[in-house]
Amino acid sequence: MDLIYHLLTMSGIYVILTLSLNLTVGYAGLFNLGQGAFFGIGAYTAALLSIKLGFPFLIEIPTTALVTGLLGMIIGVPALRLSGDYLALATFGLGVIVYTILNNWISFTGGPMGIPGIPRPTIFTLSFNSSASYMLLVTVFALLIIVFMNRLTRSAFGRVLLAIREDETATLAIGKNTSKFKILAFLVCAFIAGIAGSLYAHYISFVDPSSFTTAESFLIFSMVVFGGMESIPGSILGATTLILFPESLRLLGIPTFYAAQIRKMLYGLLLVIIILKRPQGLWGKYPF
Amino acid sequence: MAHGAVYLLGAYLGYALCVKLNIYFPIAAALATAIVATLMLLIDNIAFRPLRTKKAPGWAFIIISIGIATLLEACVTMVFSSDVRSLTKGPIQPGYEFLGAIITRNQLIILIAAVSIMVLLTFFLNTTKIGKAMRGTADNPEMAIVVGIPVDKVYRVTFFFGSALAAIAGILVSLDTDIDPNIGNPALLKGIVASILGGIGNISGAFWGGFLLAMIENFAVWIIPGGWKDGISLVVLILFIMIRPSLFGIEIEK
Repeated sequence: MDLIYHLLTMSGIYVILTLSLNLTVGYAGLFNLGQGAFFGIGAYTAALLSIKLGFPFLIEIPTTALVTGLLGMIIGVPALRLSGDYLALATFGLGVIVYTILNNWISFTGGPMGIPGIPRPTIFTLSFNSSASYMLLVTVFALLIIVFMNRLTRSAFGRVLLAIREDETATLAIGKNTSKFKILAFLVCAFIAGIAGSLYAHYISFVDPSSFTTAESFLIFSMVVFGGMESIPGSILGATTLILFPESLRLLGIPTFYAAQIRKMLYGLLLVIIILKRPQGLWGKYPF
Repeated sequence: MAHGAVYLLGAYLGYALCVKLNIYFPIAAALATAIVATLMLLIDNIAFRPLRTKKAPGWAFIIISIGIATLLEACVTMVFSSDVRSLTKGPIQPGYEFLGAIITRNQLIILIAAVSIMVLLTFFLNTTKIGKAMRGTADNPEMAIVVGIPVDKVYRVTFFFGSALAAIAGILVSLDTDIDPNIGNPALLKGIVASILGGIGNISGAFWGGFLLAMIENFAVWIIPGGWKDGISLVVLILFIMIRPSLFGIEIEK
């Protein structure tokens, strides 16, 4: 039963991450390969705020989201001068830089040892110590963000992002400040990733750099593509499938070493097949 | 993007042929290169070619490369386990002294190989018919079709040789250092940075880009701790993409 709670919690966290990345990649067409970095910044901020400064959960989570969002914006400003493949490369580079900082700034981030002992959150008198209650908390957050993204992508803001993806020059011509919108998209993306990071840090109760490598960014990017660009149900489906499907192998009872490798192989194969056979993803509408 | 995995595959295949089957090193290296390049041609046929004919956007290539790289990496780890392997056996040989620095025989082999590959590749791209066709295709694929260049064939030949070179790089590195299944990605990273530094589409630019990157990284270690090395190369990359997209090469589109 605990395994099921664990998987659902992880799915919830990744649904949040995938939704937020879909805003930049799917809607605005900005190829962001640095989502793992935002996730990591969020998790570390949450860890530091709650351990070193003793912030209660309800204050800590918006602060974390804000810090991550602002950092995302600062990073986004120069990166947005680039487009297409070069933006992807720059954000990818960013992921490696953040990883290097987490790994080496030992006095601040604890280096490779990470930060242990992050407490489970308490809201007023409610504490979320059991895995079932934490799963519920994550699910509530995921639902809130699903509703939020649903509203956001249908709003005027969402429509401008779509317009930028389709034709940036034309969007400029009708009087929209495209740079501002792109930066805002980055901010919202990082903001939500910060929430996911905080939820992750409190759940695992330990953060270390190896959880936020470029492989993590690739995984979240694959979830977006797998579920489908520009699609909210797609992102939910993509994240849960890529979390649950490889885990199901664990139930077959293959030795751990081989299971881990077979899992990686299946994940690779899945990506190849989805791109070749169903480029719009499971539930997307952005085919080529 | 699957280049890192090709490099890894090259290193391991070279190791397997040379150490496990006891084949003389140059022959083993040539054999491993040929096998890897042929395998990649096969993968190109299955995965990349349909995407090219569909004119898929860049991200599709990125995702499919990640898929293939993960697949290959997992296969290598399954077959060879995740232990560190080493190609060189026996006692360490004394190096040669050169301008007060010591360089080992293997490092000298790597240096010579790199320079000769650069010269050969420049010659190949500038004078041979297929080399010229490659440059033409890179410059303007539609125009290349119009003037009768078999663009698809050119892509396949390029893929074949590109993979062969990555495999050679992997084999050469295994001469100097130990190999483990995680060497692919850092190498890919450095490759991308170096080729952007030097200017995409410029062979000698790539050489100098790689040279410059190695210099920056290793001199920086003098001043700041060695753990920051990977970060430095990426900071250099981002600075370069933004300020001066190409140092020695043709100007790239932003």
